[in-house]
Amino acid sequence: MNKISIGIFVAGALSFSIHTNAQVLTHEDSLAAGLVASEKATLLSGYGEVACTYDVRNNTANADVARAVLFVGHKFSNKIALFSELEIEDGKVDAGGGEAAFEQLFLKFDLCRNAYISAGLFVPRLGITNENHLPTTFNGVDRTYVETWIIPATWREIGVALYGKCDRLSGLNYSFGLVNGLSSANFEYGTGIREGRWEGRNATASNIAVTGSALYYFNKFRAQISAYYGGSAGVSRTEADSLHLSNGAFGTPVALTEADLQYNNNGFSFRTLATVVNIKDAAKINAAYGNNTPEMMFGAYAEAGYNILRFWNSETNKDLTLFGRYEYLDMNYRVPENGMMNNALAQSYVVTGITFLPLHGVVVKADYMIRTTGKPNPNLPPVSPSVPFYASNGFFQLGIGYSF
Amino acid sequence: MERRKFLKLSCSMCVAAAGAGILLPSLSGCSPIPVIKASVSDNTLTVPLTSFKDGKLAIVRSMKLDSDILLVKKSDSEVNALLMKCTHQDNPLTATATGLNCPTHGSSFDLDGNVTHDPATRPLKKYTTEVTATAVIIHLA
Repeated sequence: MNKISIGIFVAGALSFSIHTNAQVLTHEDSLAAGLVASEKATLLSGYGEVACTYDVRNNTANADVARAVLFVGHKFSNKIALFSELEIEDGKVDAGGGEAAFEQLFLKFDLCRNAYISAGLFVPRLGITNENHLPTTFNGVDRTYVETWIIPATWREIGVALYGKCDRLSGLNYSFGLVNGLSSANFEYGTGIREGRWEGRNATASNIAVTGSALYYFNKFRAQISAYYGGSAGVSRTEADSLHLSNGAFGTPVALTEADLQYNNNGFSFRTLATVVNIKDAAKINAAYGNNTPEMMFGAYAEAGYNILRFWNSETNKDLTLFGRYEYLDMNYRVPENGMMNNALAQSYVVTGITFLPLHGVVVKADYMIRTTGKPNPNLPPVSPSVPFYASNGFFQLGIGYSF
Repeated sequence: MERRKFLKLSCSMCVAAAGAGILLPSLSGCSPIPVIKASVSDNTLTVPLTSFKDGKLAIVRSMKLDSDILLVKKSDSEVNALLMKCTHQDNPLTATATGLNCPTHGSSFDLDGNVTHDPATRPLKKYTTEVTATAVIIHLA
């Protein structure tokens, strides 16, 4: 069924671009599009990544087409454009796994030169990776673990958002969004709020969330703060009463705050991020659904890298970055009285490796990751039942990626 | 009651969003990059040299273009004119004293328009410029 949907979409997208009067643009052509008043245009783009991971303690390896994404954009006029991204994860989709989903599907309405509105399925500006997740833009085969388990990137929901920048304070960008909320009924032990995302499929919209960010560029720095606050019980009042939950727009709330800083100069790069998630009614959620939801989760990381080709040629366009990253996250930093603590969910990661871009748009990656956790709680089921768990383990990873 | 709350909250947030859109661009503060409005005439834009004031940058805005142009004064006789539209997915760019950045996907460019950080793969559109005694003329064709 999923395969059929993908086929229809791809065929539709291609026939649309072929049969419409719109012009299909290459990137080169699109450079000039700004000068062609009211001309329609369609843009094809995409990205993907393939990875192979060797588990040192279990002596096993896994190879996977992590994701491939087809982007189709269409400019209806100088003020209105469509952005869509269709993603397939894990190479194929069948009963054994994989996922086919729209990563984004929204219309962009330009209000003026400095502000626009996005409406539809989009990724709010939360953290770094949620918006900037293309494989050519980050070090390491995997995305950061903090921005996988604490901020569940790529986190998209349906809603509307205002984006803008400020003429009088050059470098300042802001966003403010209103999206459908989460589902605390779907929270799964050991995965934070990740499984509570609706991702555009039949989301409950009686519970909503607000998101906001302030992003400031100054010289070689990029600093951002962002936040999310939304309800997680989109159920009827009767059901909420019987479960002893608060429903309504912001009932049974989830709050996420984040701050990050990046620096890039002459081949040296640095980025750091910290984030906290609060679920103040976690005890009520546990009583209602028995999913061992934590009250608070926390995560932070810092990463430094240097393009070592700069040693030989300071003007080089190629990039061979040697990097190191430390991450710490705790998915049950605080649990309610009716929850159970599992120290295996307090994890640190040390990742070192290389990122090679022979040219813009193509990347080859290799890294070694050491994961260290606390001792698992024997009274709780293992987080990954099919794989023996070690409190300390290493993983060799190789990957390729592209973006165009 | 819940419905009323929901509507009240939704309306408040819409008003707040509209307010943010109006107020944030008007924030007073340092103004390192002046914005100059100009009209297209014979496929050219003419910007007075005084637009740069003490800095080396100026943003040129014309209703005929759907993106701004960043002027970068390299010397008294050389000025770069860069279209402030990301070559990755055509999103608007933010300029600083050291380069241009795409807040949407993280691309960045130097003040010559070259890509300094992916995902963009192509340099920015650069227009031919001509510097006279009093103005910079940008040739759009």
